Amino acid sequence: MAAVTDVAGGLPDGGEPPAVQLESVTKRFGDFTAVDEISLDIEENRFFALLGPSGCGKTTTLRMIGGFEETTAGIIRLHGEDVTGRKPYRRMVNTVFQSYALFPHLTIFENVAFGLRRRDVDDAEIKTRVAEMLELVQLGGREKQKPHTLSGGQQQRVALARALINHPRVLLLDEPLGALDLKLRKEMQIELKRIQNEVGITFIHVTHDQEEAMTMADTIAVMHKGRIERMGTATEIYEDPQTGFVAGFLGASNLMQADIVDASTGEVVLAQGRRLRVSPGRLPAGEKQVRLGVRPEKIHLVPVDAEIEGNALEGLVIDASFIGVSTHYLVETGAIAQLAVMAQNLDDRRFAQGDRIKAVWRPEHTFVVT
Amino acid sequence: MSAVGREVSSSAPTAAWRRKLVPYGLLLPGGLWLIIFFVVPMLRLVSVSLQTGIYPRYRFAWAWSNYAELVTNYGGQAVNSLVYAFLATAIAFLIAYPLAYFIAFRGGRWKNFLLVMLLMPFLMPFLLRTLSWKIILADHGLLVDLLKSVHLLGEDGRLLATGVAVVAGIVYNFLAFMTLPIYVSLEKIDRSLVEAANDLYASPAVAFRKVTFPLSRPGVVAGTLLTFIPAVGDYVNAVLLGTPQQFMIGNVIQSRFLVVLDYPVAAALSFTLMIVTVLLIIPYVRAAGTEDLVA
Ligand SMILES: Nc1ncnc2c1ncn2[C@@H]1O[C@H](COP(=O)(O)OP(=O)(O)O)[C@@H](O)[C@H]1O
Ligand SMILES: [Mg+2]
Repeated sequence: MAAVTDVAGGLPDGGEPPAVQLESVTKRFGDFTAVDEISLDIEENRFFALLGPSGCGKTTTLRMIGGFEETTAGIIRLHGEDVTGRKPYRRMVNTVFQSYALFPHLTIFENVAFGLRRRDVDDAEIKTRVAEMLELVQLGGREKQKPHTLSGGQQQRVALARALINHPRVLLLDEPLGALDLKLRKEMQIELKRIQNEVGITFIHVTHDQEEAMTMADTIAVMHKGRIERMGTATEIYEDPQTGFVAGFLGASNLMQADIVDASTGEVVLAQGRRLRVSPGRLPAGEKQVRLGVRPEKIHLVPVDAEIEGNALEGLVIDASFIGVSTHYLVETGAIAQLAVMAQNLDDRRFAQGDRIKAVWRPEHTFVVT
Repeated sequence: MSAVGREVSSSAPTAAWRRKLVPYGLLLPGGLWLIIFFVVPMLRLVSVSLQTGIYPRYRFAWAWSNYAELVTNYGGQAVNSLVYAFLATAIAFLIAYPLAYFIAFRGGRWKNFLLVMLLMPFLMPFLLRTLSWKIILADHGLLVDLLKSVHLLGEDGRLLATGVAVVAGIVYNFLAFMTLPIYVSLEKIDRSLVEAANDLYASPAVAFRKVTFPLSRPGVVAGTLLTFIPAVGDYVNAVLLGTPQQFMIGNVIQSRFLVVLDYPVAAALSFTLMIVTVLLIIPYVRAAGTEDLVA
């Protein structure tokens, strides 16, 4: 069992190789392509989130990294070492399964000690390490209990301890918080982040919950239909989603079709001749038409006769709902049927259904999607 | 107001009573069944086992000597029973476990078909099934000739009318009772547990030893008991596939009850068989520790 080896794989140029590297990794089930030529590098000590709707191929990707699913094509490297065909028990990664997969016939102690026992760590060391690890996940004193006597959140932490105790170089988590209720999920998000900081291991966290991904991850990859559509920090992805899918999956957006008038100044025109401006760098070169987006919270409403710099669309408030921290409006403009606007309830005036207003936002808050 | 209060107070005791009686009422049919068809016959069996006399006139006489006959006259058959039942259980387990494992883990969409195939032989009457073993094991049958040609069997060796034939018959007849419980317990195992073991550096063999097998133990215990218990008392296989040399305690009981009409000894043997079986099973079930597994 001592076959678990660490190979100091270095890149030819001497730089530190990424913790996980996928190169055109593809997985087909029969005719169906679940993962479609994914390439990505995940650096050491990252909290990396794989975010996407159900069925987009997140679990399959994770299972290929863990070795539970064979790749149809492509190469998987862990710290520079090609592990593509290698069995799971010979990879220095550990997994926290969605269903936790705790061994029901073993005590909490033996569950956590399982990986160490397979590697012939001696009893005294196992004892101290299990105790330390249970302390880390705040389950000290539960050693002798069986998994089924613990609550969902506690089982989740045992699963985490059972994986982390092996000091894997990469930890894979498949929707680890999916089975918990909202309050516990919020707590565990913070807890997981704390543990990741403490142990300094690369976490790859699969989730379909955009808020969870944004709360925890340094880097988010948004998956859609087996491909990675967008990768970056939460802010980068949110502020410039680049595709219509990402814009809609992360938060809400107003999307509109526009013709480019002058790419160098960023001037575009909507239907009915409404002119808007976009940061010039964002307009694709050589295109005539683009799709623009703007987040509801970036838009302000002002009285229709106000003189305002920036992008402005005149319209009619067709719905206004006060929800405490903010007021949500739906505005009918000629160019866009229903513009969603979210206004913080500061001291400025609120509008009511039927008011004629101007919806304004800054040109740099306009993004372009394909 | 007061009328309502009186009504409540007067009906309260009866309602409480009724609630207390309901569980006993529910137990009644099963309890009666147990008393009429188990407790009473068992007491009757014990009382018959202590009678003496000559058919048809037996009388109760604390005749403990009936029990001594097992050792004095039927020791050989008793040993045959235990040895054959033990061997048959062990062999059936060795065949059934891989079979059940294959169907549960590799059966895929053929699972139900394979299970039906497993049960198919049982559509044939018990006697016919056992008799067909006579043909398979016959002295100049294919199997014997084959074993002779590879020198696994001597020139004048035979299978039929030996302990081998009796054990083979028992294994065959009880194989499904061994396979089905094991299959059920394997089928229930969450596949992600095996993956978790692999993830934690257990090779497939170690994952089997540490996770799959322990989790299938309830099925193994059930299967071995369902095979061993009827096998110890079996007599048909010894009659059809063996000779009086291979007779088991079941054969003795059968002939005492139905041929010689020596009811007291037959009863004493039956009762002893039961007690011995129970005494063997209790430590086995304890050692297998199935109570740990019940979630
Ligand atoms: N073993 C399999 N056989 C056939 N199709 C599969 C298998 N595993 C997953 N799929 C399909 O691949 C797609 C992606 O699945 P999965 O990776 O589990 O998605 P996610 O985790 O993002 O919800 C789904 O459409 C699913 O039905
Ligand atoms: Mg999934």
